[in-house]
Amino acid sequence: MAGLHRIVLGLARLMALAGGVVLTFLIVMVCLSIIGRAGNGVLHWMLDAGFMTGTAQGLIDWGFGAIRGDFELVEAGMAFCIFAFLPYCTVTGGHASVDVFTNFLPRGVNRVLDVLIAVLFAVVLVVIAMQLYEGFLRKMSSGQTTLLLEFPVSWAYGASLVGAVAAAAVGCYLVMVRVYEILTGRLIVPNAVGADH
Amino acid sequence: MSNLEIGIWSFPALLLLIFLRVPIGLAMFSAGFAGMWVTMGNTRLPMAQLKDLAYSQFSNYSLSIVPMFLLMGYFATLGGMSQALFKAAENFLGHRKGGVAMAAIGACAGFGAICGSSLATAATMSRVSLPELKRYGYDGGFSTATLAAGGTLGILIPPSVVLVIYAILTEQNIAKLFLAAFVPGVLAAIGYMVAVSIYVRVHPASAGVREPVPMRERFRALIDVWPVLLVFLAVVGGIYGGIFTPTEGAAVGALGTGIIALVNGGLTWRTLLDSFSDTARSSAMIFFIVLGAAFYNAFLARTRVPQELSEWVVGLGMTPIAVLAAILVIYLILGCFMDSLSMILLTIPIFFPVVMALDFGLTAEHTAIWFGILVLIVVEVGLITPPVGMNLFVINAMSPETPMVSTYRAVLYYVASDIVRVVLLVAFPAITLFLLA
Amino acid sequence: AEVTLTLEHFLPPQANVPVQVLDVWADKVEADSGGRIEIERYPSMQLGGAPPELIDHVQDGIVDIGWTVVGYTPGRFPRTEVFELPFMVKDARAASYAYAKIFEEQMKDADFKDVKIVGTWVHGPGMFHTNKPVMQPGDLQGMKIRGGSRLVNDLLTRVGAEPIGMPVPAVSEALSKGVLDGTTIPWEVTPAVKVPELVRNHTEFEGPALYTLTFVLAMNKDRYESLPDDLKRVIDDNSGVPFSIFAGGTQADADGPARQVAVDLGNDIKTVSQADAEAQWMPVVQPIYESWIADMNAKGIDGQALIDEAKQLMSEYTPDMDTWGK
Ligand code: NA
Ligand code: NA
Repeated sequence: MAGLHRIVLGLARLMALAGGVVLTFLIVMVCLSIIGRAGNGVLHWMLDAGFMTGTAQGLIDWGFGAIRGDFELVEAGMAFCIFAFLPYCTVTGGHASVDVFTNFLPRGVNRVLDVLIAVLFAVVLVVIAMQLYEGFLRKMSSGQTTLLLEFPVSWAYGASLVGAVAAAAVGCYLVMVRVYEILTGRLIVPNAVGADH
Repeated sequence: MSNLEIGIWSFPALLLLIFLRVPIGLAMFSAGFAGMWVTMGNTRLPMAQLKDLAYSQFSNYSLSIVPMFLLMGYFATLGGMSQALFKAAENFLGHRKGGVAMAAIGACAGFGAICGSSLATAATMSRVSLPELKRYGYDGGFSTATLAAGGTLGILIPPSVVLVIYAILTEQNIAKLFLAAFVPGVLAAIGYMVAVSIYVRVHPASAGVREPVPMRERFRALIDVWPVLLVFLAVVGGIYGGIFTPTEGAAVGALGTGIIALVNGGLTWRTLLDSFSDTARSSAMIFFIVLGAAFYNAFLARTRVPQELSEWVVGLGMTPIAVLAAILVIYLILGCFMDSLSMILLTIPIFFPVVMALDFGLTAEHTAIWFGILVLIVVEVGLITPPVGMNLFVINAMSPETPMVSTYRAVLYYVASDIVRVVLLVAFPAITLFLLA
Repeated sequence: AEVTLTLEHFLPPQANVPVQVLDVWADKVEADSGGRIEIERYPSMQLGGAPPELIDHVQDGIVDIGWTVVGYTPGRFPRTEVFELPFMVKDARAASYAYAKIFEEQMKDADFKDVKIVGTWVHGPGMFHTNKPVMQPGDLQGMKIRGGSRLVNDLLTRVGAEPIGMPVPAVSEALSKGVLDGTTIPWEVTPAVKVPELVRNHTEFEGPALYTLTFVLAMNKDRYESLPDDLKRVIDDNSGVPFSIFAGGTQADADGPARQVAVDLGNDIKTVSQADAEAQWMPVVQPIYESWIADMNAKGIDGQALIDEAKQLMSEYTPDMDTWGK
């Protein structure tokens, strides 16, 4: 079980890494867009002031300015990131919960609770992935695009689907883990705020 | 059972789930799903809503500030920037009881000035401050409570998304509302610092105290923090100067701190990967709560509980001040179950005309602005009142070794400070309005 | 009531369109049904989600009825774009009439086959609201301007502005933070989203409108089919050409009082004369027609024929066709 857990953890971490890379890409893209926007303003100011107008006009014509569609790239990219982050958060028990009252319950009851919560979580994550897939199909068939870059919205849904499916798989895996824990009495995945501290 | 009854029963059901240790986001999601299922008699509606809801919440442009600022927080820690910042603060304040916690409140206020979201403020500042507060000997519950309360300054100090929405719903002037929010926002920060000093006197063991540091060393520590100050100025200046959006500011901050951390050797492949996975963990946790809250709030709106509750209070025929008090109490209660924006969207169209029809001895515009600021404050207090408070949950999850109960205990001091402030603002409208004169 | 229908839209409840069009329509349907239909109204996206999802909400039955800007979902309803072309529309009533006619003929079983459409209309003249005066295309160079549809953003690009796409409700926050230098919208919605307080310059166009956006009031198809025949008739009697003319006309008529708000604030309102529009603006935006026709052809739609038909229908409109609610 510990070996399997290392593999699942590794895969979830890999997804988180992919999200992190996209996040970094977005951050750099946004900064470049700000530089382009500010630079474009300066170039126009130079044109107005009659200062190095040839260079300024050349750079403007070359397209020196904000990155077109930067807002919608952030939106689409961020959706991918969050879905990609979900498996790692889930498999490491990172979701916030309140342990105030369950602390008074016996250990066995808490273990049963862990199983039930894991089942509920798995169901919800599977439903989310299934319905995101439905949404993806609809965006495919309707041909809806973004406003500026006019890329199909279904691409962003499709990319997000990878993380959502991974999260659903992790949810199901955690049910297995909790059942294993209750049978063997060993602890594989502690909660962020759990009954076990 | 009528939709209204189902809506009302969902409150205890949600509380039960949360007390049974069901993760907050999951609990709200499940309550929303089950609620719609029971209301409609089948799962068609919640299933249909989910086709787009998760994607639309996760791709929300305003919320994309959260992962970026979280990453910035990690980079700032890796590059030694947050340590340097707290070292500087400690040099000036460390010999006072609770000085470092006060510094954290001050930092939250500064961050709140650039950020429009209290969850983002709380999450970002705790990434930077929690380890430092721990190093200076502050106990866990006090630290998390401090940051949960400090986070609400993100909304109280303008710019603030809540005020923009209020302005649109009530046709008030945004600039005047921002201006009016300023003094109450500063009062909030001061009130929280007073709460810190009371807390550390009641619980002397909860915070460490150092020997005073000589003046020259204090200023030397300031020199060490210049790179942080540079990034901070770029971010704040850029957002205030209208050069970029808060989200863009977060990107600038993340890139800036990343470069500094790279230059001074704090950022390596190993630590970069750790930053990614920690950012992933916290971001996913926050966004899952946001999704659950959106789903649950969509259900509540449909049952018309917030709308009916508002109309019921209005129909009681009480004196103006009693009506106002009842409205504020309703916001505190709803604050346990709803996020600030949903609450305002659903209730202001009903409450606002009622409040405007009452005589508080103010002009119509002043009544509207004063009421807006009061609503803004109580809506935010709801985020830190136990047992259910969004900020409490988020910050507590960022400090896994801290039991929720100790966060609850410590946050009561901040809630008390909030209540005193609300009473003052209700009793003396001039505190809010004198800047407008 | 026997049937409770939900109606969702993205504007605050006291804005012009909810008060003067949607509420009027909903109240009339309630009255015509003899109280058997009740319409619950959810303004400001109270049921969750963002404005571009409204049409999906209707299609999936998350709400029964929804009012939306067609341009928020580019690529999905291509034929409607004919009324968004620059300097195409002179009069909102005539354009709403033409739009409703073309809908009956061509869009009902194509673009909008998945929903029951109650009304199709356009707003009054679209124009600029900016933090600097704008008289010529060159004045927009490098300015960040919000556009509400694919074609408006194309127009903005061609006049040298930097287009930023976002739904109306996001505009005030963006203007207040300096994220935008200005926005394109008709007068009518400016007070509701605080535009006259946030920018001081307004540029109107004499003659044909710089652009218009298209709207639909849509109903979930299954929900409509599930109604008893007499209630279906209540909906039908308040749908189609007459209601569309009313909606477009009412919305355009709301431009005047809204313009007065900016006048009262002492804002600077400039008008581009028709001659200047033809001499300076038309040449810059004319290529949109060719690229749009090419886009339509690629989708198997005869764009030129659509333009000709829209123009023909707009010219045959007469005021006596405006009968709904009278
Ligand atoms: Na703020
Ligand atoms: Na609360």
